[in-house]
Amino acid sequence: MIWAQQDTPLVDWAWITRNWGEIVDRTWEHLTLTAVSVGFGLVISLALSILALRKRWTYGPITSVTGLMYTIPSLALFALLVPIVGLNATNAVIALTSYTLLIIIRNLVAGIDGVSESVLEAADGMGYTRRARFWRMEVPLALPVIIAGLRIATVTTVGLVTVTAVLGLGGYGYFILRGLNTFFWTQILVGVILSVVLATVLDVGFVWLQRFLSPWARRAG
Amino acid sequence: MTVWESVGEFLSDPDTWSGPDSIWVRLGEHIWVSVAAVVIAGVLVLPPAIWLGHIRRGSDIATAVVNIGRAVPSFGILAISFLVLVQMGAGVGEPWAVLVALIALAAPPMFTNTIAGIQAVEPSTVECARGMGLTEREVLAGVELPLSMPLIMEGIRIAFVQVIATATLGALVAWGGLGRYIVDGFARQDMGRLIVGAVLVGLLAIVAEFGFSAIQRVTTPRGLRVAR
Amino acid sequence: MRRVFRSRAVGAILGLALVVTACGSGDGATDGDPIKVASFNFNESVIVAEIYAQGLEANEYAVERQLNLGNREVVKPALEDGEIDLVPEYTGSVGGFLGVEQTADSQVMWDTARTAFEELGVTLLAFSPAQDKNAYVVTAETAAEFGLTTVSDLQPVAGELIFGGPPECPERPLCLQGLEEVYGLEFAEFVSLDAAGPITIAALEGGEIDVATLFTTQGIIAANGWVSLEDDMGLNPAENLVPAIRMEVVEAYGDDLVTLLDSLSEALTTEDLTDLNRRADIDQEDPALLAAEWLTTNGFIEE
Repeated sequence: MIWAQQDTPLVDWAWITRNWGEIVDRTWEHLTLTAVSVGFGLVISLALSILALRKRWTYGPITSVTGLMYTIPSLALFALLVPIVGLNATNAVIALTSYTLLIIIRNLVAGIDGVSESVLEAADGMGYTRRARFWRMEVPLALPVIIAGLRIATVTTVGLVTVTAVLGLGGYGYFILRGLNTFFWTQILVGVILSVVLATVLDVGFVWLQRFLSPWARRAG
Repeated sequence: MTVWESVGEFLSDPDTWSGPDSIWVRLGEHIWVSVAAVVIAGVLVLPPAIWLGHIRRGSDIATAVVNIGRAVPSFGILAISFLVLVQMGAGVGEPWAVLVALIALAAPPMFTNTIAGIQAVEPSTVECARGMGLTEREVLAGVELPLSMPLIMEGIRIAFVQVIATATLGALVAWGGLGRYIVDGFARQDMGRLIVGAVLVGLLAIVAEFGFSAIQRVTTPRGLRVAR
Repeated sequence: MRRVFRSRAVGAILGLALVVTACGSGDGATDGDPIKVASFNFNESVIVAEIYAQGLEANEYAVERQLNLGNREVVKPALEDGEIDLVPEYTGSVGGFLGVEQTADSQVMWDTARTAFEELGVTLLAFSPAQDKNAYVVTAETAAEFGLTTVSDLQPVAGELIFGGPPECPERPLCLQGLEEVYGLEFAEFVSLDAAGPITIAALEGGEIDVATLFTTQGIIAANGWVSLEDDMGLNPAENLVPAIRMEVVEAYGDDLVTLLDSLSEALTTEDLTDLNRRADIDQEDPALLAAEWLTTNGFIEE
């Protein structure tokens, strides 16, 4: 079959060297799309979680709606947003952000809920206002669970960013799509491997962040 | 034409209801590949996961597996499997590449949740069962598995829903399924086709969620069901 | 206290990141803004876009690439909105897309397409002698079995055959839609593949489809001994390669830009396209390298 390149090696290092600039550009694209989406996701989730914690009855509807958004396949959401927002990063960010909401909200609420009663009573006893208690006690103590949620959301987003290649973006997904359009192994492998590396680096980064932000957990061991 | 008109036009097109591109065909393709992926993934990872959970080992492996699984983009696995299979002679429209990618997606949550579920069974309960003279197999089948059913089912449910959503990517490698409507709709700017595809996938996912919640309730031993 | 500071610091950094990165793309070209060159999602388009892009860069223009963007349904709105500035187009196809009359006369086709496109703020510069039309291809075996040399020959047997093409094919006047309207062909099934890419080729090779939509400049047709059916009823109009560029960009940069692009277009021939395609499709050569080589050979870049 003419299409099978049995004589060319799987990885064309010369191609990688030549296209290093593009690889770096796509790295930034991938990172930015991920960071902005998770960032927005965190802000929105924080607002919705506070609402859910104050008015318990909203938790159900909130998880239902964010859960519903989660079931919309990413490909469809990107495509559906094109006539509304266009073929650009805004489109990607809107969709990617909506996919982070369910995970982050669930973890935020579970985390805050998980703070033990005795700690809350102690805080009240010490005279903290409700707001101070929330931001200075509950959130820091819930951090491990919250960061676990951010971790999952980030790694998931890194994977989803590859699909934005159909919008002309894609980060590393651009190489995957282009490789698929030309049956060129090097591009596909570069796209997949770098995607995994990025996800792993960010994952490990979050583990560190968690340890950094909750030193008491480390001490308690 | 408005979006609604487009949806109407798509739904009133006879080709939508009969023929190779009909809703039945696409729905059928989508469902069977999703189910097959979850079943095969289950066959592959549940036995080792149950065993690892039983001997109380492997929670580190479990965490690593789910992390790696999440870090590998499904689109990437799809592209690689497709290329490998086509160059090995598989036909272009066949679902094997999609199946591989979906199995890779379904396996980690099922693996990890199963290990976690079995390990979550109180050690004292297991000891007690052993103390009563139950063999290891009886302990596993009669005590650990029933008690860990909620978490195991949870893992399968998560896997199933993710698989349904991700199966849409199969259309990017010339497969069918409901993703075909999405990709074709996007390519033709046929919003009706696109929306019907997306809505059907969403509905399928929701049905799977509710279906599984029901299954979870049924498979949860009576004693564990929380009284409301 | 320190804990609070940490979480506040984290919040501030996140907020800053959002603000900084959320800045949208500017529209309205001014001298100095990079020219955003895009291409469709098939090799030839990528190569030609690279030729334009590298040609511009060699003459000190700043260029941003958005290659492999998608099909015309996706690229045209992006061009109109200013998400991209320049795309290598084909007079007949873009004309058909814009709804103007199709003709095999290159000059007339270009003229009518350009007039229509300019209403949307996009102009077509001078067209190239190079043409690339849609080809309807069957394997040698299929051609022999059904006695096929022209597209009309498909009329009695189309109902037994499976047609493969890019996803937008059923709605394109030069693809299935046109084949139905002009030739009266109704195929057994349409299979959605890619834009004359390796997936379509593999499908024709593997027999998953009987008739494929490819491009006349693709060397793989001859290399595989396939038969490109003659367009005996003249469905395909003139398809000269031509740069579609936003009028704002032309105004911003002026005559020098136009002269440069025109000279590039003029130097491209159909033979060039066929050769470049063959090397990209079959030999898997890098489109960017092929473009650089072409530019050097034709004197646009010094060695």
